[in-house]
Amino acid sequence: MKEFLIGKLTLESLPHEWFTIGGSAFFGLLTVALIVLLTVTKRWKWLWKEWLTSVDPKKIGIMYFIVAGFMLIARGGLEALMMWLQQALGASDMPGALGAAHGYLSADHFQQIFTAHGNIMVFFVAMGFIFGLINYIVPLQIGARDLASPFLNTLGFWLYVAGVVMVNMFFFFGGQYAATGWLAVAPLSGTQFSPGVGMDYWIWSLQISGIGTTLGAINFIMTILKMRAPGMTLWKMPAFTWGSLCSMIMAVTVFPLLTATIFLIFFDRYFGTHFFTTTLGGDPMMYTNLIWMWGHPEVYILVLPAYGVFSEIVSTFSRKRLASPISNIIGMIGVALFALSVWLHHFFTMGAGADVNAFFGVMTMIIAIPTTVLVFTWIATMYKGRIRFTTPMLWFLGFIAVFTTGGITGVMLAVPPADFQFHNSLFLVAHFHSNVIGGVLFGVFAGISYWFPKLAGFRLNERIGKYAFWCWMIGFSLSFIPMYIVGLMGATRRLDTYDAATGWQPFYVLMLIGGIIIAVGVALQLVQIIASIIEKRRLRDVTGDPWDGRSLEWATASAPAPYNFTTIPRVTTRDAFWQMKQQGLAKPKYEDILMPKNTASGIYISIFAFLMGFGFVWHITWLAVVSIIGIIVCAITRTFNEHTEMTIPAAEVEKQEAVRLKRLQDEHDSAPGKPAAADMADDMGLREFIKIVAVWAWNVVRNRQWRTWQKR
Amino acid sequence: MNEKSPITTTPPKEHRTTGSYVTGFLLSLIFTAIPYYMVVHKTVSGSALLATILLFAVLQMLIQIFFFLHLGRGPKPLYNVIFFVSTVGIILVVVLGSMFIMKNLHYNMSPESTTTKLAQDEGIDQVGGEKTGACSDIGVNHKVIIKNNIASPAHTDAKLCDTLTFINEDDRVREIAFGKHPAHEAYGGELELSVRKGYPKTITLNQTGAQLFFHDHLDPTANGGFSVIK
Amino acid sequence: MADMAEAIESAEISHEAAANDRVMFGFWVYLMTDLLMFAVLFAVYAVLHGNTAGGPGGKELFSQQQALAETLLLLTSSFTCGLGMIAARRGNKSQVLVWFGLTFLLGLAFLGLELREFAEFVREGHTFSANAFMSSFFALVGTHGLHITSGLLWMTITLIYVLKRGLNKHLVRKLALLSLFWHFLDIVWIFIFTIVYLMAFV
Repeated sequence: MKEFLIGKLTLESLPHEWFTIGGSAFFGLLTVALIVLLTVTKRWKWLWKEWLTSVDPKKIGIMYFIVAGFMLIARGGLEALMMWLQQALGASDMPGALGAAHGYLSADHFQQIFTAHGNIMVFFVAMGFIFGLINYIVPLQIGARDLASPFLNTLGFWLYVAGVVMVNMFFFFGGQYAATGWLAVAPLSGTQFSPGVGMDYWIWSLQISGIGTTLGAINFIMTILKMRAPGMTLWKMPAFTWGSLCSMIMAVTVFPLLTATIFLIFFDRYFGTHFFTTTLGGDPMMYTNLIWMWGHPEVYILVLPAYGVFSEIVSTFSRKRLASPISNIIGMIGVALFALSVWLHHFFTMGAGADVNAFFGVMTMIIAIPTTVLVFTWIATMYKGRIRFTTPMLWFLGFIAVFTTGGITGVMLAVPPADFQFHNSLFLVAHFHSNVIGGVLFGVFAGISYWFPKLAGFRLNERIGKYAFWCWMIGFSLSFIPMYIVGLMGATRRLDTYDAATGWQPFYVLMLIGGIIIAVGVALQLVQIIASIIEKRRLRDVTGDPWDGRSLEWATASAPAPYNFTTIPRVTTRDAFWQMKQQGLAKPKYEDILMPKNTASGIYISIFAFLMGFGFVWHITWLAVVSIIGIIVCAITRTFNEHTEMTIPAAEVEKQEAVRLKRLQDEHDSAPGKPAAADMADDMGLREFIKIVAVWAWNVVRNRQWRTWQKR
Repeated sequence: MNEKSPITTTPPKEHRTTGSYVTGFLLSLIFTAIPYYMVVHKTVSGSALLATILLFAVLQMLIQIFFFLHLGRGPKPLYNVIFFVSTVGIILVVVLGSMFIMKNLHYNMSPESTTTKLAQDEGIDQVGGEKTGACSDIGVNHKVIIKNNIASPAHTDAKLCDTLTFINEDDRVREIAFGKHPAHEAYGGELELSVRKGYPKTITLNQTGAQLFFHDHLDPTANGGFSVIK
Repeated sequence: MADMAEAIESAEISHEAAANDRVMFGFWVYLMTDLLMFAVLFAVYAVLHGNTAGGPGGKELFSQQQALAETLLLLTSSFTCGLGMIAARRGNKSQVLVWFGLTFLLGLAFLGLELREFAEFVREGHTFSANAFMSSFFALVGTHGLHITSGLLWMTITLIYVLKRGLNKHLVRKLALLSLFWHFLDIVWIFIFTIVYLMAFV
């Protein structure tokens, strides 16, 4: 009876190790603090109405940023630091603690950490940030009011959140995550060798969020192909939209492969099938083949929007049109096309032989060419431009340095006989981190600092932003250049301890120092945001176009109204907004606007999806069945609902615009100085920031100011 | 370049006539019946049959795509068609790519193959100073003909590194397994040899044995023996 | 005044037509992703179908006549579904109910035959977990069957709403999406019939 009710859950499943107690305490306290804050400030209804059930892609975009940023710091980044520390302490002549032979992490725990680090960074940090950017910026760039399906948008977001919750669930129940590496290769990931629930958490967190990604990708494709402003042909679309289109077409192509493969490994574990087992006809190598068919295009899915971001930034801050927009587009399409023909380079050493390896080796080398075309286009754009070294531009330059290193080492790895030496060494790890951090993460940071004025209505503090950038550059170099070297010296990946006689420890210590500097950089990025909020009046973006941009998103207010544009613009050229500025902006004509209503269906379906996954993880069959029925019922209720839109009458639009303009005028009149062109040299520095925060905190505590933080 | 506005309308009603569906239905019936009867009555055989039924499947898919789904008859831009064609391409990459890769992996990596058969095929007759048992110099060829369920000669005496050819002169497929029925043993890296009329199979006798047997797994009355000495 | 009403109406129509077009296209893209999931299952079947671990293969287990019967049932249901769509676009509610009702029955018969086949295999011990061949067979054919089941459920609910609300534009669009789904399932079945059932006997 007990087994029917709660499956394989027992008292033993509750937290009882130092890291599960720590983790669940952290999340528990955080949740409690949030609940208290919301209750004391009476903001529950506001949160539900304005944010959680919103279908506005701008709001959903910001929510993606918040969740992804949180996962970057609280999980992915923390795990990286833990690994750096363990490896610095893990030489065979060092003492051990907390159950580890050397260092402080036991071998099994270390394996869970590198698995979680990879999963979280790829699926929940990188994908989250990318989806946030695309959600916010693409509709603005193409002159649309919303995505094609607002419901799919919110559903996709909440499925992503369900995946996030699932990947953190093991702290509370089960105490272990998968210890198989981030792609959980068979047969290690089968029941025989990974009997615990950790692997099942892996399956369901990725499966649920993966389906959310697929739905989101379909939505973005529908939007970009069918909802562009009149006159905007595909060739006239801005570069970020192009990058997003190519990326999402790839996502829609390969995420179904991941979904199917994860179902198969789930069947092996849950029903005892023999797809990837070592007995009764199963073939573990097929798993490796299938999972990398997804895995390789995934990294291009992540980097293509970043290429788009950099194209926008390099042209804006060189004050020049992109050197060759067609080359740019062709480069992106080229990357997307070839991405599906190289996946075997991840398992050259598995034994397919020279014929197969040769084909995929050559294809891998070819794929370097479109990217090179892009890099040269960007450099050509800078040539004879009038460059402004703002923070976004610095991130771009950092990207050029770091990503190119990654790319070149990638071509080295593409040579199959050489790869037999490099495979699964730290050389490989340094390569892909150069690409993912230098390409994707720097792209995200560049994009966020570039579009921040649009999102928030005020720009970011440039001074602290530059400190943060340099911490990242120096920290990254100190961490990953030694990694290339020690990889060539023979250090393999995923090592928790190693023979002290190898002489690798000094390198690991250097890497740890680099990691700490990166952590300082992250802290400075948070400080940057807070400092900008403190100075927001001074940094306010009044015109909506703080950088003298070229594309349509700069034609809206900062932050844009819910409906983005009062009237959909008519486009005649590439760099549509630039053209409008030359010709003089037209007077707005107000009309009725049809907008989608908020909906909680996405939340409900995702809750059921989460419960279904939890039921499968713990073999609580009734829970899984009931949840599946719940998903179906909610989906039917939503899709047969014929009243999902509402109209904002033209008079209301005019009123809102008038209010907005008046508010900006009032602020401009009340504050001294010229907020529109706030000089970057006057931005707050670190010392001033610390003083201001200390004084504020002291005041809050002394005067019990939290009582006044209710909703205005 | 010639699209004025991305807003399109639903396709005009002429595309969805009853005639379109009837044509599609009848053609699909025909394209189902033909491969079915070809397989049941084995009018062709082997890889020719496989290629034919696959071709009919693809053709029937195209018929249904055109007559039932009306693909290609909507207003431009024809995104549906582009997505469909690229999906088909990717499916080919996934399926054929997997088959290509797995075939190569199995050749190199499965347990039986890595020792005798592989060594034989690649002509590797020693590894690390130890002989693999693969034969680099091939000896005499012996033939076994199976006709009317009788193998002749019933017993063959051969030397190590001779070859043995199985010739099937009956109309049915024979699956030659080694060992005495119902036992199945592997010999020379082979578990089973599929032999049909006109397509004999040869193995290299690279393992010694005084009393070795073979039988047709599908009809064990056809059997025989052989011995391989140094 | 009349001009403005007409302008508003044509703006509404073109908004509606644009929305319809978007939804049909988006669903088509979803169908492509579904096809790709099937591609993985086909690839797995292609690689693993010979691994019976000594057990019987397709040649021993499958019934050619049953496979043909299933194919004809599904093909006919795809045909009646198409006729149902013609009726839907003409706004003919009773014909819609007849043709889609027929589609439902044919689909149900298909499913019945398939479930009977599965039950027989399970009874004889050739279960999902018996060996790699059975696993890949059930995964591929079973996933198709699950899709058919969802299609039948979708059909039932839509027809109930048609009875309750009448044949409005929203429901016509639902039926259009459903018929896309149903035709697509028949196309996948062509390949299952060929690669699983026919190929076993080649």
